[in-house]
Amino acid sequence: MNRGPWPLLIGLLLGVVGGLTYAWAIDPVEFVGSSPAALHSDVQADYLTLIASAYAATGDLPRAQVRLGLFPGPDAAETLGALAQARLASGRPASEAQALALLAGDLGVRPSPPPGLTPRIATVVPIASPTITRTPSPRPSPTVTLTPGAPFQVDRRELECDATLRVPRIRLLVLDAAGQGVPRIEVLVLWDTGQDHFYTGLKPELGNGYGDFTMSEGVTYTVRLAESGALVTGVETEPCVDESGGVYPGSWWLVFVQPPQP
Amino acid sequence: MPHLLRTFRFWIGVILGLAAALLYGWVLQPVRATDTSLVSLRQDYRADYVLMVAEAYGGEGELSLAVQRLAALGPETPSQYVEAAIAYASDQAFAVEDIERLTRLARDLQSIPPTPAASSP
Repeated sequence: MNRGPWPLLIGLLLGVVGGLTYAWAIDPVEFVGSSPAALHSDVQADYLTLIASAYAATGDLPRAQVRLGLFPGPDAAETLGALAQARLASGRPASEAQALALLAGDLGVRPSPPPGLTPRIATVVPIASPTITRTPSPRPSPTVTLTPGAPFQVDRRELECDATLRVPRIRLLVLDAAGQGVPRIEVLVLWDTGQDHFYTGLKPELGNGYGDFTMSEGVTYTVRLAESGALVTGVETEPCVDESGGVYPGSWWLVFVQPPQP
Repeated sequence: MPHLLRTFRFWIGVILGLAAALLYGWVLQPVRATDTSLVSLRQDYRADYVLMVAEAYGGEGELSLAVQRLAALGPETPSQYVEAAIAYASDQAFAVEDIERLTRLARDLQSIPPTPAASSP
């Protein structure tokens, strides 16, 4: 009795099953020389944090950049900034988040210190600062709404025309009743099509109560402290003019202050 | 004879199937090196990891944190990883200050008594 190709097909099937079982389960390819980019995402987060901690200790930016280059990604500064927020939100030591924020800031654009605060960075590279001219055209002021009994109140809101800030930002400072910066304050930023949040204290060289958020032109934002009813509405980029007549989007400087206890 | 022919065809099929599956499983579509742990880091990356721990330790001064970071490398003791990194750094002519950082960490690790917590991953 001729059974045709069945013996061959059955053997082939058994061989495939046995071979794949052996190749994938019994004796899979071993990875003893993997790179940091192949690490599990949680381990990658720890690795990136260690890069930042090492940088915070040594200040060796080229070395940190080489190490970060092991991880594929479009923008390391954004990644580190987001990681800093996530680590802080998950209750990890503030020193980790600060190291991440420091490296993120040094990789990207370091905002100028808030008014009235002296940066802790000892070495400052002198740069030619252009003369800033505030746009004379009238503009609508953001509306401030305070909830009775709110632990923080809006103290200042100012348009900042600083050409060194390459991208417009909402920059804010949260101060306690004694005038000290308050870290770990969650700040909600809402707009028509979405929302985001960030925490104060991730850029300690700019103040423990400092935090910032990158704005998009043409978008109107509402800023609110998560644990407070105090909010600022109608925040949007405003045009500023530099000394050469160039127009660039300005940033907003907001200060929230805890009123003194009666 | 037909029985022998069928048996022959069967084993030819098994061999062909095995060969194709191994080719597929080991070469064409091997288990991917994703979601790996620090244990599988290549030697140079591992040495740099240990160097980062030493650099961070130099700034933070927290030996327990350094031990915790080194323990993530695998089952060996933190001191063993640092010693291996020093050996690698010496072979590869790392900067003197880097070797000094590693040496300082190794020395400070020697000062802590061996505990299960310090040697477990």
